[in-house]
Amino acid sequence: MKLLEHEARNIFAEYGIPVPEGEVIRSPGELGAVMEKLGDRFVLKAQVEVGGRGKKGGVIVADRSNGVERASSLFCMDIGGMPVREVLAVEYLEIQHEYYLSISVDRSRKCALILFSEKGGVDIESLARDQPDALRRAAIPVLLDRVPPFMIRDLLSGAPAEIGDVINRLYAVFCKKDALLAEINPLAITRSGIYAADAKLVIDDNALRRQGIAQNRDLTEREREAEKHGFSYVELKGDIGVIGNGAGLTMATLDLIHYYGGSAANFLDVGGGADQERVMHAVRLVASDPSVRVIVVNLLGGITRCDEVARGIIAARVRQPIIVRLAGTNEREGREILGSSGYRMLDSMEQVVQAAVEATR
Amino acid sequence: MIFADRNCGVIVAGATGKQGAFHIALMNQYAREVGGKGVVAGVTPGKAGQEVAGVPVYNSIRDALREHDATASVIFVPAAAAADSIMESASAGLSLAVAITEHIPVHDTMKAIAFARLHDCAVIGPNCPGLLSPGEIKLGIMPVHLSVRGHVGVISRSGTLTYEIVDQLTRAGLGQSTIVGIGGDPVIGQTFTDVLHRFEDDDQTRAVVIIGEVGGSLEEEGARAADLPVAAYIAGVSAPPEKRMGHAGAIIEGGEGDARSKIERLKGMGVPVAQRPSDIPRLIREIL
Repeated sequence: MKLLEHEARNIFAEYGIPVPEGEVIRSPGELGAVMEKLGDRFVLKAQVEVGGRGKKGGVIVADRSNGVERASSLFCMDIGGMPVREVLAVEYLEIQHEYYLSISVDRSRKCALILFSEKGGVDIESLARDQPDALRRAAIPVLLDRVPPFMIRDLLSGAPAEIGDVINRLYAVFCKKDALLAEINPLAITRSGIYAADAKLVIDDNALRRQGIAQNRDLTEREREAEKHGFSYVELKGDIGVIGNGAGLTMATLDLIHYYGGSAANFLDVGGGADQERVMHAVRLVASDPSVRVIVVNLLGGITRCDEVARGIIAARVRQPIIVRLAGTNEREGREILGSSGYRMLDSMEQVVQAAVEATR
Repeated sequence: MIFADRNCGVIVAGATGKQGAFHIALMNQYAREVGGKGVVAGVTPGKAGQEVAGVPVYNSIRDALREHDATASVIFVPAAAAADSIMESASAGLSLAVAITEHIPVHDTMKAIAFARLHDCAVIGPNCPGLLSPGEIKLGIMPVHLSVRGHVGVISRSGTLTYEIVDQLTRAGLGQSTIVGIGGDPVIGQTFTDVLHRFEDDDQTRAVVIIGEVGGSLEEEGARAADLPVAAYIAGVSAPPEKRMGHAGAIIEGGEGDARSKIERLKGMGVPVAQRPSDIPRLIREIL
């Protein structure tokens, strides 16, 4: 789950990483009291979980004369489909130089990877593409609790040595907070010192509970409903509803829809051991999306009982047609149950997908 | 066949849970069919003296090894304790730990894998269906009726998609040497590269199918290191960026790990990539 900037920056500050003076406001009226602390010029930053918000107008410089007015305009904005409910007001920094610093999970080396660049402030993807040599890397062996000094020297090369302290503090955040990504971009040098001028923190979804986070905010309402039933569910933009078991098979079903020229409305993985109840909830959830015109069910498994699945499909009683591919135990019973209720059961995933694509033409 | 043969004794960690008990029975049913040793003991702390599916339960892997010969564990322990179980397997001297458990926090997995490496214990998974060498041994939860013994190795980040493709291979008369589900998490023990190297040393295996998906670059790294003929299928061509597609590891992040660029890189190395799962048998025939 992605944290909002102000949540991430509070954690960074807790771990001793310097952050600029600032406060979160929830309405333009709250700015008055905050302005007193920030000086004549300050920066207003929309708190939305959307990348590239600066380019989308979500970060603006203001002063005492126009602050409230500019904050009001931010609160009226919608950035990348997200309404702005909170704004972080921070002091304006006279930045002399911007660095890039991040720590992420390196899948290949199976450990933390530090990325550092003297060319901060730009988005890291274009930096990696256009100037790969400007990025320095260090992989930290898992069983170390601090970044070894020689690695810091290699990373920093000529950059100010004080950054080494920030690197170790960010590494502590990364380890203690179950982070998948901890990023400071830019890490700003001013006359008065180093500051994390932005803060990004992504927490491992599988560690939310032990991090004391009750609810994954990245999810839409329907995705949260799916989570309650233990389904993996992602909303997409098409009109063919998809239910599969297993992430790979469900993804392959989506791809096959795409291959035959159709467009999937969702990804829903019911998980292992799908019984009547679970299948019924899955079908109802997918059908509750008004853009779904037809539903494909593609279930394959050694232990999935086809008669249970068939009963679940019928019990859901949804308006959209459902095209089914079932392979597993009690396959014949499942086929009979579905057939007698007028559902189509086909033999392969190619056949169900082709039939569904045709139905939406 | 790689990793284990029918003479390998197996310990199941998390034996007394519903999943553990169910799959001990299925693994031992298969062991009886092929004349293998199967699951010799179960482990659940505090449950010593019980019996699950005809198998004695011990408090620890070390206790079990005092009474039984075993070289591998299969782990069904819940996520909060599964990394500990991987480390216990390694520390007790097992050479292979197969972690079926889903939802282990990544930081726990990284530590457990680093620890296991210090003890020369190979970890398969987590979040995987395990492995199956048809006619020889099953470690994990794969259905056995879709596969037949043969010369194609299969390595996959998925579960049911693997069964789908194995079924297609079997129907096309292409049997399998070993099918390895390496897991759907971002950090896993045995990668495509590791398993491909094992297949290279295996006389039975003549070609390998790699079944990958969005996220990371393990597929390309494996294909680059491979000496054997390889064909691939990559799931997630239609997956949107920054969305987790079921598996914790199936996510396109920071513009990296999307299916199209993976497929392009694989093709650039001369690896044929199937557009549909059903194209795999034809591609394997062409490279055999």
